[in-house]
Amino acid sequence: MSEKARVIGVTGGAISLGGFAAAVGLCCTVPWAVALFGVTGAVAFARLAFLLPYAVVGAAGFLALAFWLAYRRPPECNDASCAPPNRRALRWFVWIAAVFVGVLSVVALTMQVTLV
Amino acid sequence: MLRFSSFLVSAAVLLVTADAARSADRATYQVLDEGAAQLREEFNAAKGSVRVLFVVDPICPGCLRGLDDMNKDLLSKTNDPHLQTFVVHVPRMTPPPKAKDVPEAATLLHNDHVRHYWNPSGSFGEELSQALGLKVDGEDVYAWDVWLVYGTDAVWDGTSPPKPEYFMHQLWALGVTDLPRFDSKVFAQRVHQLLASIPKP
Repeated sequence: MSEKARVIGVTGGAISLGGFAAAVGLCCTVPWAVALFGVTGAVAFARLAFLLPYAVVGAAGFLALAFWLAYRRPPECNDASCAPPNRRALRWFVWIAAVFVGVLSVVALTMQVTLV
Repeated sequence: MLRFSSFLVSAAVLLVTADAARSADRATYQVLDEGAAQLREEFNAAKGSVRVLFVVDPICPGCLRGLDDMNKDLLSKTNDPHLQTFVVHVPRMTPPPKAKDVPEAATLLHNDHVRHYWNPSGSFGEELSQALGLKVDGEDVYAWDVWLVYGTDAVWDGTSPPKPEYFMHQLWALGVTDLPRFDSKVFAQRVHQLLASIPKP
């Protein structure tokens, strides 16, 4: 697997987990779950609420891995066949994803706590 | 072709039957007035029975999960007429639920002795909050997503509902207090203890 695909895959995992956390966090404060999935679906969704902190931790873990992949020193080569790839775009991608996941996680955790 | 047509007709009949069955499952409800007079009357009429009172928002997923848990651990396992259940639906979510959401939520409870009420103004939660003394740092906490059980002797004679024998909640605002958090299994045990104390004829 290429370096680029690996970074994109890992960052995608972080975004997915962050999105899942936000959806679970929002499900209990915003009444969209019943409208979208019906009563039974909303109950099923609410049963996943315990996964929220694990999803946030998992997203953070994926992000850490993405940063490590994007910033690690490229393997040294003796010939010109493995010229270091330009990682500037990948690093931008990881940073943008990190901000996005951060916002999703804050939304998820805040929404869960403000349920009164 | 004929076989396909018969399949289509059978499928349509099945769908209509299933929908009719679902509609039949949908419970009716009463709209509560400001003093909750209907609820008070029916609560007092059931004196001699163990009474449970659930206050929920009909579109709050956490409340719905609570109803589903109560159904699994308590209501679907008994049809004892000495257990009477009152469910008050109050609007707490934004945008608020509508009356049509109440019968949908009511489908989660399978027991012949359940009554549902819809309190569009939400005043019932304020009155119950006073009765339960739900406060955090001196501030009243609105009583919803609360689960109460009353003994056989409880009478509602004031304006607010009486103090329950036991209650649980799923309110984050009360998270730091020592009030018991929702656990349908423990709640069911309490109810069964009270039911066991009723003298059998």
